[in-house]
Amino acid sequence: MNQQMQKKPDWGLSYGELVWREFFKSRLNAACLIFIVFLFAVAVLAPFLANDKPFVIRIDGRLHFPIFANLSASDYSVFLAAIVGLTQLRLIRRNRRKIEPSIRSDVLWRQVTISIAVILIGTVSAFIFVPRRLDATDYKSMIVSGKASGAIFAPVPYGYGRTDLKSREQPPNREHWLGTDDVGSDVLCRLIHGSRISLSVGFVAVGISSVIGIIIGAILGYFGGGVDFAGMRIVEIMMAVPTFFLIITIVAFFPRSLLNIMIIIGITSWTEDARFIRAEFFRLRRQDFVRAAVSLGLPLRSILFRHMLPNGIAPVLVNATFGIAGAIFIESALSFLGFGVAPPTPSWGQMLSLGVSTTGRFLWWLTLFPGLAIFFTVLTYNLVGEGLRDAIDPRLRKAE
Amino acid sequence: MTTYIVRRLLLMIPTLLGITIMVFAISRIAPGDPVSLSMGPGGQLDAARAADVRKARMALYGLDKPVPVQYAKWLGRVVRLDFGDSIKHHRPVINIIKERLPITLTLNIIAFVLIYAISLPLGVLAAVKHKKLFDRASSVVLFMLWSLPSMWVGQMLIGYFCGPTFKSWFPPAGLSSNYAEQLAFFPWLTDRLWHLVLPVFCLTYSGFAYLTKQVRAGMLDNLRADYVRTARAKGLSNWVVVFRHAFRNSVIPVITIVATLLPAMLGGSVIIESIFSVPGMGLLAFEAVTTRDYNVVMAVATIGGVLNLIGLLLGDIAYAVVDPRISFESAE
Amino acid sequence: MSENGDLLSIEHLSVEFFTEDGAAKAVQDVSLKIRKGKTFALVGESGCGKSVTALSIMRLIPEPPGKITSGKIIFKGSDLLSLTEKQMRRIRGDKIAMVFQEPMTSLNPVYTVGEQIVEAIELHQKKTAEQAWADAVEMLQKVGIADPQQRVVEYPHQMSGGMRQRVMVAMAISCRPALLIADEPTTALDVTIQAQMLDLLDHLQKEIGMSILLITHDLGIVAERANEVAVMYASRIAEVAGSDALFAEPLHPYTQGLLKSLPRLGLSVKRLPTISGTVPDPLHFPAGCKFHPRCPIGCNDKRCQTVEPELRKVDWWGKDPTLQNCERYVACWYAPGYET
Repeated sequence: MNQQMQKKPDWGLSYGELVWREFFKSRLNAACLIFIVFLFAVAVLAPFLANDKPFVIRIDGRLHFPIFANLSASDYSVFLAAIVGLTQLRLIRRNRRKIEPSIRSDVLWRQVTISIAVILIGTVSAFIFVPRRLDATDYKSMIVSGKASGAIFAPVPYGYGRTDLKSREQPPNREHWLGTDDVGSDVLCRLIHGSRISLSVGFVAVGISSVIGIIIGAILGYFGGGVDFAGMRIVEIMMAVPTFFLIITIVAFFPRSLLNIMIIIGITSWTEDARFIRAEFFRLRRQDFVRAAVSLGLPLRSILFRHMLPNGIAPVLVNATFGIAGAIFIESALSFLGFGVAPPTPSWGQMLSLGVSTTGRFLWWLTLFPGLAIFFTVLTYNLVGEGLRDAIDPRLRKAE
Repeated sequence: MTTYIVRRLLLMIPTLLGITIMVFAISRIAPGDPVSLSMGPGGQLDAARAADVRKARMALYGLDKPVPVQYAKWLGRVVRLDFGDSIKHHRPVINIIKERLPITLTLNIIAFVLIYAISLPLGVLAAVKHKKLFDRASSVVLFMLWSLPSMWVGQMLIGYFCGPTFKSWFPPAGLSSNYAEQLAFFPWLTDRLWHLVLPVFCLTYSGFAYLTKQVRAGMLDNLRADYVRTARAKGLSNWVVVFRHAFRNSVIPVITIVATLLPAMLGGSVIIESIFSVPGMGLLAFEAVTTRDYNVVMAVATIGGVLNLIGLLLGDIAYAVVDPRISFESAE
Repeated sequence: MSENGDLLSIEHLSVEFFTEDGAAKAVQDVSLKIRKGKTFALVGESGCGKSVTALSIMRLIPEPPGKITSGKIIFKGSDLLSLTEKQMRRIRGDKIAMVFQEPMTSLNPVYTVGEQIVEAIELHQKKTAEQAWADAVEMLQKVGIADPQQRVVEYPHQMSGGMRQRVMVAMAISCRPALLIADEPTTALDVTIQAQMLDLLDHLQKEIGMSILLITHDLGIVAERANEVAVMYASRIAEVAGSDALFAEPLHPYTQGLLKSLPRLGLSVKRLPTISGTVPDPLHFPAGCKFHPRCPIGCNDKRCQTVEPELRKVDWWGKDPTLQNCERYVACWYAPGYET
C-alpha cells in the first residue's frame, strides 16, 4: 500500500515545465540566470558584504555585534522578501510533485497572494517598528587606538553613509579596490548597495506596470466594441507622450524619493503589457473553452483571471523581463540626470554622473565600473527575456 | 487613401486633447499650489510684493475658479501656443522652444536617416547569411549594443575622446566652437558636423541595433513564405527573390517601428543633449526640471507629445503607401 | 532507359532531411516516368514524400536541412540534378512549371497579379513590356477569369481562393511549359471549385500539349483525370500502373487497402474497412518492407519484416487485357508476377 502511494504520479509535463526545459537547453541562458541569482545574493546580503562596522568586536572584554545591531528596516524587509521568495520556489517544486494539475493554478495563486501579503505586511511593520539607529561609532579608530580588539570586518570594510573628504576621488588602489567618489565613499561598497536600489526599482516598477497593464488589457480585450474603442484612445494618449518626457514631467512636480520613482516608472510603462494582453484576449475570446466558461455562468473575475489569463500571459512574462531591464535603465538615467534618488542613497546612475568632475577631470573609475554594472545587469535581463521568448515560441509552434 | 489620412487625423484630435488633459492633471495633482511653485524660491524675497504678485497670479491663472475652467483657459492659451513665461529665462516659453526645437529635430532626423540606412542592408544581409558567421557575430554585437546604456556610452566617449586625459579628437560640448561665428559657410558647416558626430552616434546606435534585429527577423519570416517559393519556381535568381519579393514585404512592418523608435529617441535626446551640452529641447527639459520651471516642463511635454503624434501619423501614411492592402481597404 | 515518349524520367531518387533529431529519409529510391502529353498522378498520404519528390524535380528543396543524396532526373536528355543553378533557373518557370497547394499565401501580396505574371514572361521570353502585359491578360482569359483587363491590375487580396489558384495556373503556363507540376492544386478549394480547376487543367493540357504531374491524396481525382498513377508509401513507391488498371486490379496490399476503404455509391456496409495502424515516423522506419506492420500478409512474414522489396516491373497478370496499356511496377514480395 505504502509503495503504491510513494510512486510519483505521471501527470506529464506542464506548460511551465516545458518552457523551463526549453529555456535551459542553452548554456547562455543558464549563465544569465546564474548571474541574476548572484546579483540577488549581493543585493540581499549587501549589509554583510560592505559595511564599515564589523561583524563582531570585543570592547572592554564584552562582545558586540555592530552589524546585526544596526540592520535597518529596509534590510529586514529585503531579508523577508528573500526568504518568502525562496520558500515560494520550494513550494512550486513541491506542487509539481504533489498537487494535481487541474487545481495547481488555484494553489499557485493562493500561495503567491499570501507571499505578497506577507512581504507587504512585513515591510510596513519593519518600517514602523524597527528604530532608525545612527551608530556613529568609529570602530576602525577604536581598533587602531587599541580600545577594541578581535574585530571581524565585512569583505569590503566601508559604508556609504559618511563622507571622508581626505580620500575623495582616488583611483583604484589597495585600500579602495575600485576607487572613491567625490565625497570619499568607496566605489565598490556603493556598487554593492546600489544593486539593491536597481533591483528593487526593477521589480516593483515592473510589478506595478504589469498589474495595471493586465487589468486594462483584459478588460479591453474581453469586452471589445465601445469599451475597447474608448480604452484604446486612453492607451494611445499614454503612448503619445514619449515615456521619458512623461517621467521627467512627473518627476518635476513631485518630491524625489525611491518609492515615487518606482511608482512613476510603473504607471508610465503599462501600455505595452496592456496591448499584449488585449491582443491575446481577443484571440482567446473566440476559443471554445472561453465560450464554455461563459455559458456555464462563471463570474467574470473567474473567466478573465483563472481561465483566460494563464493562456495569454506568456508575452507579458517576456515583456516583464525586458521591462525590468528597462526600469533599471530608466532609474539609472534619472539618477544620472539628478532626478532620481538623492545621495547618500547609492545608485549606479548617480555614481556614473560623477565620472566627469566639476573641474573637468575624467574620473574613469567612476564611469567604467558603475557603467559596467548597469550594462551587465541590463544585458543579462535582456538575454533572459530573449531566451524566454525563444523557449516559449517553439513550444507554441509544436502545440499548433 | 485620402479617407484613410483624414480618418487618422480625426482620431488624432481626441489624443491631442488627452495629452493636454494629462499634462494639466499632473501639474494639478502635484503637491503644493501652482502659484507658489511657479513663483519659485525667489518668491520669498519681498513678502509684501510677493503677496501682491501672488494675488495677481492667482487671478491671472484663474486659480480661484474651478479646475475644469482652469483647464479650459489653459487649453485656450496653449492652442495659441502661449505657454506662459519661463521663470528661469524670463521670456515667453514658446520663443525658447522655437530656438531649441530645430536643433533637436536636426539631430533626430539625421539619426533616423542613419539608422534606416544602416539597418536595412545589414538586416537583409544577416537574414540571407542566416546561421553563418556573419549572422551570428553581428547578432551578438547588435544585442550588446542594444543593451548599452546611452549615458554610459556618452560619458565614456567624452572621457576618452574629448578630454585632456586621453584623446582629444572631438569637442566635448556645444554645437559650434566659440569662434564659429567668424567662419565662412563651409568651415562653419564642417565645424557644426564635427560637433554633431558624437551626439548623433549616441542617438543612433541603440535604435539601429533594434531595427536591424527586426529587419532580420522579418526577412527570415518572409524568406520562408510560400510566395517566395513560387517566385523561385518561376526561375528568378536569388537576389531578385530576396530584394523584389521578400524585402518588399519585410519593409512594411519595419515602417511601423517608427512608432517605437521615435519616442525612444526623443526621450534619449534628454540624456544625450545634457551630456554633450547641445542646446536642444532635451537639454531644455533637463534644465526646466532641475530649476522647477513648470511652464517650460508642461510645454515640453505637450510639444513632445505633438511631435510624436506627427511622427506616428507620417509613419501611418508611409505604411498605407507601401502596403496595398491598406489603401484599398479604406477606399472601398 | 528508352526514350519512346518519355518526357521526364526519375531514376532512383533519394532525398534526406537532416534535423536535430536525426536524418529523415523523405524519399528513397523513387523511380517513375512521365510521358509526353499525359497526366501522371502521384498519390499517397500526408508525409509520404510526394511533395518532396515534386520539389526535387524543380530542385527547390531547401539545402540546409534537405539534400538530394542520390539519383538522376532525366529531362529532355539531360540530368537535372547535374545542372548548374543558372541552367536550372532557365528551366524553372519556362520548361517545367509548378502550381502550389495554398493559393492564399502563394502569391506575393504587395504586387498586382499582372506584375507577377509578367515577371515570369519577361524573365524567360524576349518580349517588350507591352507584349508581356498583353500575354498576361491572355493567360488570365485562358484560365477562365472573367474581365481579365480589369483583374490584371488587381492585388491578390482582392480575389477569392479559387481565382487566386487560377492566377497561379496562369503564371505557370505563361511560358507554355512542357511539364506542369500541380501539387495538391484542389485541396484548399471548395468542392464545387475543385471540378472547375481540374477541367481547366485538362483543357490547358490539350491546348498546350503539356504533361501534368498531379500530386494528390484524393483517389477520386486520380480515377477521373490521370492516365498513369504511382502510389507512394513512407518515402517509397509501392505501385505504378495505368489508372484504369490500378483501380480495377490493385496489386500492392496498401493500394488494395486504400481502395477498399473508399465509400462507394450502392455499397451498404455497417463499417468501412480501414488499414490498421498508422504511418511510420520518418526518423524511425520499420525494417524490411515499410508497410509490413499494417499489411495482412506482411505482419506475419519473416521476409517482409527483414528485406525491403524493390520496385520491379511485372508482366500484367489480370482479367481484362484491354487495360494493359502501360507498364506496371510493384514493390511487394507477394504481388502476383513479382517473383519469376
